[in-house]
Amino acid sequence: MKPWLRYSICILLGLGGGTALAVSQVRSDYADKQVKNGPWSANTDQGTAKASAMTRAKVALNGLLALPAKEAMYFISRTDSDGALLDGKCTYKVSGGELDARWWSITLYKGEGWLVKNAANRWSVGGNAPVRDEKGHWTFTVAPEKVDGVWLPTGRTPRFDLTLRTYHPRGSLLNDPAKAKLPTITKESCA
Amino acid sequence: MTRNWLIPIIVGLIALAVAWQGTLVATPYVLMSAAMKRIGNADGNGRANVFAFGPMATADRQPIVRPSPDLVYSSCVFDLSQGVVLVDVEPVPERYWSISIFDARTDVAAVRSDRDTGGKAARLALLRDGQKAPAGYEAVELGYDRGIALIRILLSDPSEFEQIDAIRRKSKCRTVDAKLLEK
Repeated sequence: MKPWLRYSICILLGLGGGTALAVSQVRSDYADKQVKNGPWSANTDQGTAKASAMTRAKVALNGLLALPAKEAMYFISRTDSDGALLDGKCTYKVSGGELDARWWSITLYKGEGWLVKNAANRWSVGGNAPVRDEKGHWTFTVAPEKVDGVWLPTGRTPRFDLTLRTYHPRGSLLNDPAKAKLPTITKESCA
Repeated sequence: MTRNWLIPIIVGLIALAVAWQGTLVATPYVLMSAAMKRIGNADGNGRANVFAFGPMATADRQPIVRPSPDLVYSSCVFDLSQGVVLVDVEPVPERYWSISIFDARTDVAAVRSDRDTGGKAARLALLRDGQKAPAGYEAVELGYDRGIALIRILLSDPSEFEQIDAIRRKSKCRTVDAKLLEK
């Protein structure tokens, strides 16, 4: 084989392989400087000049125009608290206490981050929606069919994620998000 | 045989590393450019340096990835090649609102919320190195000509939309001739 052909083959394979690897990593859950907290993960340097090329590419794909951490912390969970992938045919209880932020909400998305069609036209639960008990604890239900209480429909999408937005976060939520007290996601049943 | 392939394989690995890094670096620019085209046409105006006041995000209308259904978004695709761009944000009382300035690489050049302004209007001048902000405007220097200015306003209930919509439409995004600012 001619030398130029050997070089051409290797360069083309390298260019194709490098591009495919980058696309695969950006689209996957490949973690790059992500903070983990139970089922939740978050970036702390999105939107800043400190962000790595990988973080910048992942945020551009999964959350373009995200705010920096001081303004808003975004936590994404693709699994329940036992580590099983979230399934649109299943019912989950999402429970927690007061979050140290000015305002919070939890939104259900599919794919890279798209709202899911559902009969109720409901895609999120705001922090003011769930009733608190005497200790400030709250619970709402994520389920394919309507349930009593605060209900977030799955639209029966096969896979989904939950995104917890906390605006003007304070305390550990901002300064030590790996140890902040975040909501739990507990699977109850599957249809 | 092995020796014939050794150097081409090393060159191939270098090409792999270059393509990997190049793809990562290019991704934000490509996705931001696509978003600027889409958002700039959100209300049909299709122009730079003017706010598009979009409706609430729903499953049938998602101009960008991961939209919040609790927020009202207003966006201005800006282009500093036509001069300094002034952004005036009308305050909305007793709720979270913010203006954020994203450059072509997706970095945030500035965020100002009602917490920062004490509930008053935000007035920003988007400019390049060497340009000056007019009196009354806070300078926000950018490394790129193009980007997106995005207003977020929190609704505690969708029924508030009409009331909030009337207020937010007083916000302005406009270009001014740099020569006028020097006088």
